[in-house]
Amino acid sequence: MSTEKSAAPRPSRAMPLAVAAAAVLVLASGGLFYYATISKQAAPADGATRVEIGASACTPNELALPAGRHVFEIHNASQRPVEWEILDGIMVIEERENILPGFRQRLTASLKPGTYEITCGLLSNPRGKLVVAATAASDAAATAGPDLKAFIGPLSEYKVFLVMQGSALVAATQDLVAAIRRGDVARARALYAPARAGYRAVAAVAGRWADLQNSIDPAADYLEKREQDAGFTGFHRIEYGLFAGNTTEGLQPAADRLLADVTTLKARLGAVKLAPDDLTQGAARLARRLADGRIERGENAYAHSDLADLDASLAGLAKMARLVRPLIPTAAADLAKQLDGRVDAVRQALAALKSGDVYPSYERVDAAGRRALAGDFRDLADTLDTVSARLSPG
Amino acid sequence: MKPQHLLAAGALAAFLCGPAAAATLDLVEPIAAYKIYVSEKLQTLVTDTKAFTSAVKAGDIATAKRLFAPTRMSYEAIEPIAELFGDLDKAIDSRADDYEKAEKSPEFQGFHRLEYGLWAQNSTEGLAPVADKLMADVTTLHQRITDLALPPEKVVGGAAALMEEVAATKISGEEDRYSHTDLWDFKGNFDGSQKIFELVRPLLENSEAAFVKKVADNFDTVDTTLAKYKDGAGYQSYDKLTDGDRKILASAVNTLAEDLSTLRGKLGLN
Repeated sequence: MSTEKSAAPRPSRAMPLAVAAAAVLVLASGGLFYYATISKQAAPADGATRVEIGASACTPNELALPAGRHVFEIHNASQRPVEWEILDGIMVIEERENILPGFRQRLTASLKPGTYEITCGLLSNPRGKLVVAATAASDAAATAGPDLKAFIGPLSEYKVFLVMQGSALVAATQDLVAAIRRGDVARARALYAPARAGYRAVAAVAGRWADLQNSIDPAADYLEKREQDAGFTGFHRIEYGLFAGNTTEGLQPAADRLLADVTTLKARLGAVKLAPDDLTQGAARLARRLADGRIERGENAYAHSDLADLDASLAGLAKMARLVRPLIPTAAADLAKQLDGRVDAVRQALAALKSGDVYPSYERVDAAGRRALAGDFRDLADTLDTVSARLSPG
Repeated sequence: MKPQHLLAAGALAAFLCGPAAAATLDLVEPIAAYKIYVSEKLQTLVTDTKAFTSAVKAGDIATAKRLFAPTRMSYEAIEPIAELFGDLDKAIDSRADDYEKAEKSPEFQGFHRLEYGLWAQNSTEGLAPVADKLMADVTTLHQRITDLALPPEKVVGGAAALMEEVAATKISGEEDRYSHTDLWDFKGNFDGSQKIFELVRPLLENSEAAFVKKVADNFDTVDTTLAKYKDGAGYQSYDKLTDGDRKILASAVNTLAEDLSTLRGKLGLN
C-alpha cells in the first residue's frame, strides 16, 4: 500500500485534453466520471497550499499559515478514495470527501488564528496539524465588531425560535381554550401558565405590535374600570375568571379572541423581518423592562404564576444571549464570559426558588426576594447593553 | 495581484454590486426555513433509525433490509449540516474504505457496517452494539443541530456539495455497495440540494434569470430520469440503471454541481 500511483493525472497546459481523456476513462470504467472539482489550472501559481495524501500520512503533515483565506490543493497519492478535512474540535471547518486515487481537488477555507487538526486520508492515519498565526488583519478583525453578514446565521436561528415558540403558543392556547369550553376549571387553571410560557418566550419581538399586546396582555391596573373594563381581555381576563372567580363562566368570548390573537401573532412572527438590533438591543430592553418594575410588582395578580412566566422569559433571553455570544469579538472574551455568568445567575436564582420541581405561588416570594431577582435581571440587562454596543455592525 | 490592486478590485466590485447590506439580510428567511426543513428531517431520521435498529436487534433481517434505505434518505438530504460534526459523521456514515483494514476494522461502524452485515453476510449476528451506537449517535446529532445556528455559507454551499456527493459516490454505485440502494441516497441528496436552491431562488429570480432557469431545468432532468426507477415508495436496485440514463444523470449532475458552486458567490457569502 505504500507505493504511490505513478500515473497520477498531473495538471498541465494540456489539461482540457487530459480532462476529456480522464472523463472517457472513468465513464468507461463504470461511471466514475466526476471531474468538475478537479483543478483545471496549471500547477498552483496562485499560492495554493499543496498537500499530498499518502497511504499512511499527509505530506506535509503539519502546516503553518497566516490567518485569512487559503486555497488548498489536495493530491490523493494513495490507492484509496479518501478525504481531507480541517477540524476545529469536533466541528468540520472545510472538507473534501471521496478524492479518487491519483486525483487532485481544491478547497478554500477562511481561517482564524488557532490550532486545527486535519483528517489525512484513512481515518486510522495520524491526524495532521494546522497552525494558523495571527496577522495584523486578523488582530483587527478580533477587535472590530461583526459585520452584517455575521448576523445572518444568528438571526435565522432566532427566527426559527420565534416560529417554533409561536406554534407552541398556539397549541398551548388551543388546549386552554378547549378546557374553558368544556367548563373544566381545574384543567383550565393548570393550562394557564403553560399557555403564557410561549407568549413570554417571544415577548422581545411580540412587544412591537401594540394592537396585539393591548389585546393579549393588558393588566387591569392600566384600565379605567379595571376588571370591569371592556378593554380587559386576553390572558389576564382569563386568569381573573379562573383564579379570582374559580369559574369558566363568561370566559368563552375572551378565550376565542385570545386564540385568534395568538394565531395572528404566530403569523406575524413568521413574516417579521429581523435586524441585528432586534437581537442585541431587543434582549437588553426586555431584561430591563422586567427588572424595572414588573418583577417587583408581579404580573399575574390572580394566579401568582410569575415564576413560571420569568422562567419562560429567561428561556427567550438565554436563546438570544447564546446567539449573540459567538459574535462578540475575540478581544472581548471577558465580556462573553460575563454574559454567560449573568444568564447563569438568573437561572440559579429562579432554580433556588423552586420547591421540588415546581415553582411556588409568587405570594411566597417576599419584597426582598423580588428585589434580589429584579437585581439579577438588571445585571443581565446591563451586560446585554454592553454587548449590544460592542456588536453594533460598523 | 498586489494588495492595493486587490483593494481597488474589491472597492470596484462593491460599487458595481451596490450596497450588499440589504441583500444579505434577505438570507435570514431562507436559512430559517432550511433549519426547519433540517429539523423535520432529523425527527424523521430519529424515528426511522429507531425502527431500523430495533429490527436489527430483533434479528429480523428482512425488516431491517427493508428499512435501511428509507432510513438513510433523511440523513442524505441534510448531509451538508450533518457533516459539520466530524466525530458523528464518521460514526454514522463512514465507509469501509476509510479504514486501513476496511470491513475488518473494528472502527468500521454505523449505517454501512449494518449494511455490510445485512447484505454481505446476510446476518444480524454481532450487530446489536453497532445498532445501539447508531441510535445513540443519531440522537446526539439531533440534539446538537437543534441548538445550532446554521452557518449560511454551509447551507448555501450545501446545494453544490450534495450534487458533488452524488457525482463522486452515487453514480459510481460505491456508497451502498452491499445493498445497491444508491438511488435512494441519490434521491435524498437530490431533494436536499433542490430544497436549498428553491429557498434562495427568490433572491436570484430577477438578477440571475438565466442561471435560475438552467439550474431548474437540470433539476427537472434529474427528477424525470430518477422517476423512471421509482418502485413503490422507493427505488429499484442500482443495477437496473441503464447506461443511457446513467449518462443523462451524470451530465445533469455534473452541470448542477458546477453551476451551484457559484451560488455562494452570487449571494455574497464567499
